[in-house]
Amino acid sequence: MLVLVPPVVSPVVVAIYAPAVIVGIIVALIGLFGISIEKNDLHVLILTDIVGIAMLIIVAAVGTDLAESLILPGLVVELAEILAICEILMSREMRKTGKSVALIPTPLNFDMEILQTAPVFIAVILVIYGAFLSGFTGGAIAGGGILFYVMSLTVRGVPSSLWEGIAGASGIAWCLWLMGFLVLFVFPNYWLLGLMLAAFGVFIKVAFKAGLIGVMNREEFRKE
Amino acid sequence: MVVSILGSQIIGIIPLGDIVFYMTSFNLFMFAAALAFTFIIAISKTETQVEAEFGTLGDRQLTVAKKEFKFRRFLAIICGLATAGAMVTGDVFDFTLFVCLIGIVNIGIVGAVKQIDVLDAAFQYGLIAMIASTPLFAGAALILASAGTVSILAINSLTYTTPMMLLGSILLFLGVAGETGVAPFFATKAEMFRTPGSPFLLIIHLSSLLVIVRVIEILLIINKPF
Repeated sequence: MLVLVPPVVSPVVVAIYAPAVIVGIIVALIGLFGISIEKNDLHVLILTDIVGIAMLIIVAAVGTDLAESLILPGLVVELAEILAICEILMSREMRKTGKSVALIPTPLNFDMEILQTAPVFIAVILVIYGAFLSGFTGGAIAGGGILFYVMSLTVRGVPSSLWEGIAGASGIAWCLWLMGFLVLFVFPNYWLLGLMLAAFGVFIKVAFKAGLIGVMNREEFRKE
Repeated sequence: MVVSILGSQIIGIIPLGDIVFYMTSFNLFMFAAALAFTFIIAISKTETQVEAEFGTLGDRQLTVAKKEFKFRRFLAIICGLATAGAMVTGDVFDFTLFVCLIGIVNIGIVGAVKQIDVLDAAFQYGLIAMIASTPLFAGAALILASAGTVSILAINSLTYTTPMMLLGSILLFLGVAGETGVAPFFATKAEMFRTPGSPFLLIIHLSSLLVIVRVIEILLIINKPF
């Protein structure tokens, strides 16, 4: 039998492959069995997610970097499909009952002392540290900083045009990220430029995305 | 170097780093067909339906509002482009992504309609599409594990087949069948077609037809039965 695995890989890891595939198939069959006997639509939707997790198990069993490139889109596709089906379920129920509901039904109510007493200095540190990290992780940290700032300022009120501008900048930064990837594929010689475009594009985008959660929060605060 | 895939000669490849598209006369034709149909959809207007009732003269006209019409046309164009991409891609991994995109967009095209039974059918189709993404990605992963690559051009030059490749191929086929809603899963799709807005709905049909032809080509390349 032909073996494609390089000799540096531990035999334990290689031996796990077949059991992992079998476990994935068993998990998928358990999920399918659950779907076959369940009649409630919402429960069926949640059980479908178990079948999706089985896919992640089988792809993760391969464990190479190409498999990683399959696992991330697989996860995203699962999330996108579950969101789309949730929307369809909601709109069907709304048509049946004649009532309409908001996407986030309850206004968030944060009444924490730390939001008024904590210094905004922490937000500045988070943003600078995120810029130093760059990429997706840095974006998440800087976004946390922006979120913290927004939450601590909600009492005083933030000008809404500022945050709308940030939302626009987030979209432009995403285009930078895409352009970086195109440069990597079309002109591989300029890989450093492509890398930097992608890293800082995704940094700004993720940071502002997390900041946008703050915008939504602020609007919910004002509703009260 | 003359490379032939399933007896037809490769006209050209489009290398974008790792992602390679290749053209043979076979899939170039399907690519052109998908693009031409997408173009026709982009410039066409939606039909209106008349619902008749037995025993009365109460016929009702069903039209599509302009906002919904624009949204549906956008999704139909995306679906057509994804179909065209799936025709020429030289990568099993890209192919799975294109098929998943077709599945999601198909849900989206009928997601905004007002009839409850159509929404019900779209919900069932969505469940099948979501379940089918498991064999789709698992099949691609098993092909990757047994062939060592996901590039169709590289798999074409392999001289051996293994049973794991066959299992992967079967899973891939199951995934594509569920994702595009053919053979055993077509009942919900037929129900989805009863909503007004005909030319956009037809892309659901065309994409599944073309993708099934293409997946059979890919499976023949992988398993080399001849």
